[in-house]
Amino acid sequence: MNDRRIWWFFIVPCMLVAVAVVMSLAAVFQYSFREFVPGSLETGGFTLDNFYSIGRPVYFLVILDTLLISFLTAVFCLLLSYPVAYALVRTQSEWVRTLLVILSITPLFTGEIVRTYAWMLVLGSDGFINSTLMALGIVSRPVQFMYTKFGVIVALVHFSMPVMIIMLATAVSHVNRDFEKAAANLGAAPLTVFWRVTVPLTMAGIVASTVVIFAWTMSAFATPQLIGGGKVLMISNLVYLQGLSSFNFPIAAVLSAVAFIVAVGSLALVQPFVTRLERRVAEQ
Amino acid sequence: MAIRMKGLLAAAILLAGTGIASAQDKLVVSIWGGNWRDGAQEAIATEFTKRTGIEVQFITGGTMDRLTKAKLSAGAPEADVTLTTSHVAYLYSSDNLFEKLDTSKIPNLKDAYPVAQRSPYTIGLYSYVYAPAYRTDLMPADYKITSWKDLWSDQLKDKLGLPDFDPSHIIIAAAKLSGADVKDWKEGIPMLEKLKPNIKAFYQSDATSQELMKTGETPVQVLLSINAYHQMSQGIPIKLVIPEEGGVVGIDAVGISAGTKMADAAYEFINTALDPQVQEKLCGIYKCSPMNSKAHVSAELAAMPGIFTSVEELQKQILVDDETRAKLLPEWKSWFTENMTR
Repeated sequence: MNDRRIWWFFIVPCMLVAVAVVMSLAAVFQYSFREFVPGSLETGGFTLDNFYSIGRPVYFLVILDTLLISFLTAVFCLLLSYPVAYALVRTQSEWVRTLLVILSITPLFTGEIVRTYAWMLVLGSDGFINSTLMALGIVSRPVQFMYTKFGVIVALVHFSMPVMIIMLATAVSHVNRDFEKAAANLGAAPLTVFWRVTVPLTMAGIVASTVVIFAWTMSAFATPQLIGGGKVLMISNLVYLQGLSSFNFPIAAVLSAVAFIVAVGSLALVQPFVTRLERRVAEQ
Repeated sequence: MAIRMKGLLAAAILLAGTGIASAQDKLVVSIWGGNWRDGAQEAIATEFTKRTGIEVQFITGGTMDRLTKAKLSAGAPEADVTLTTSHVAYLYSSDNLFEKLDTSKIPNLKDAYPVAQRSPYTIGLYSYVYAPAYRTDLMPADYKITSWKDLWSDQLKDKLGLPDFDPSHIIIAAAKLSGADVKDWKEGIPMLEKLKPNIKAFYQSDATSQELMKTGETPVQVLLSINAYHQMSQGIPIKLVIPEEGGVVGIDAVGISAGTKMADAAYEFINTALDPQVQEKLCGIYKCSPMNSKAHVSAELAAMPGIFTSVEELQKQILVDDETRAKLLPEWKSWFTENMTR
């Protein structure tokens, strides 16, 4: 098989998937321009009113909440995942590496609903944390973790960590150890080597993984639905409430378009920065 | 190699053919999962199979999810018969997803209360109420609810759970407490806004309602009577109260999918479901009120809150017609999402 035929072998499936995605997005977005007819599953004629409707404060606030929750999830995920990824790559002990892999990666295979239900048991009024706090006399009545942004972010961070650990571990494993050794030989303390050499050399991975987690959290549904208990709404929950619960497909389509544009826009904004960083690291 | 491939292909075609044949022998019924499906299997499907020899295959899902699926598979319906809430059934029929019923093929309908004939497309099978319910072990011993307005009490701050998939019950109650008709529900908005401090969480399904009640996160809920009794049967100490203004009545209805190839069996399924003995058994399992006036309701069941044995009793409750409710529901949900969830 010559080179060109090999390329077609990869390109054709990619194009088929791309066409399917674009067509399904177009099928959803065309509802944005349709009139909502109460008491019917069918939509009416052409209108732009749906775009004005999302100017209502509640939609704006839910979009802001979604951005805030996604940003905080990405940041906390990074702070917690980097040390794990670093230890995973750098440990000399095989059993420590195995343990870290089991603890950090296996949650990926349990599914979002199972993990979210587990967090409900931990964060609930009579859950593990509140029972412990009350048994130790630290609090006299249960602390409200469920149905708060805090609870949603905790569960989302846990949900996203395995993916970020894999991405960061890849970045750490690509660091040329000679640079770190050179810095140490020149008298830099281990912490200085870490902050001035290792972290900058993994910056492209840090930015890329943070953006991926930010964009992926933008579409979170089950976790805010269950932990948020309807009191914490993200865009996906609003899309579900308006689209599949109220059958207001036009508004749901506009909200989906907004979520899509924000997610893709954030990736597009950061991409040049990641490319520049990758180029700089390659030049070093 | 080629021979083996041909053999596999032939086997696949044969298997596919067998699958099609077996699917056509079964009546596919769309219903909610859990105790809803189990009850319908035990009371209706078993009797239907005994009478006709046709097996029933249930496909389950949430109210709106099933409606979405039905819309997507219009013309080639996945289910032959659908059981759903009567005002949602209105949406099925308004979008031509149900076929117009030939009531001469449902002889048991003659003994049903007039309220059972929901529309030319749907028949009500049983009724229930949405009403306040509370955990007796988590509320003070002298705590009681007599009216919907008790849900506004300061005592319930951060204790109340409401369904977010259908806020109609609390909206209807607020309208009634404000002296307004359901169509003028906006007169109840000031009351609804005053309820916000009491709402701790919204439940999205029967399962999350049960979870919130079981863990005590929301010891007071506006709850479907059938679910309240199901939770009681699971050992959760709950008291269901029919307020003096009445509970908000719900009726679960059945319709036949437009384009079904099992129409005769579907009619027989509905007729079986309306049979007095089947109704008695079904309502004994669900703890609901039968639609067939000839169905016997035991004294024990009749004494339970939310069980009605006559049209007169039913009409003392809050009844909203399906069309009004179906048309107002999107408006109610939008308003509720925008104003009550934050």
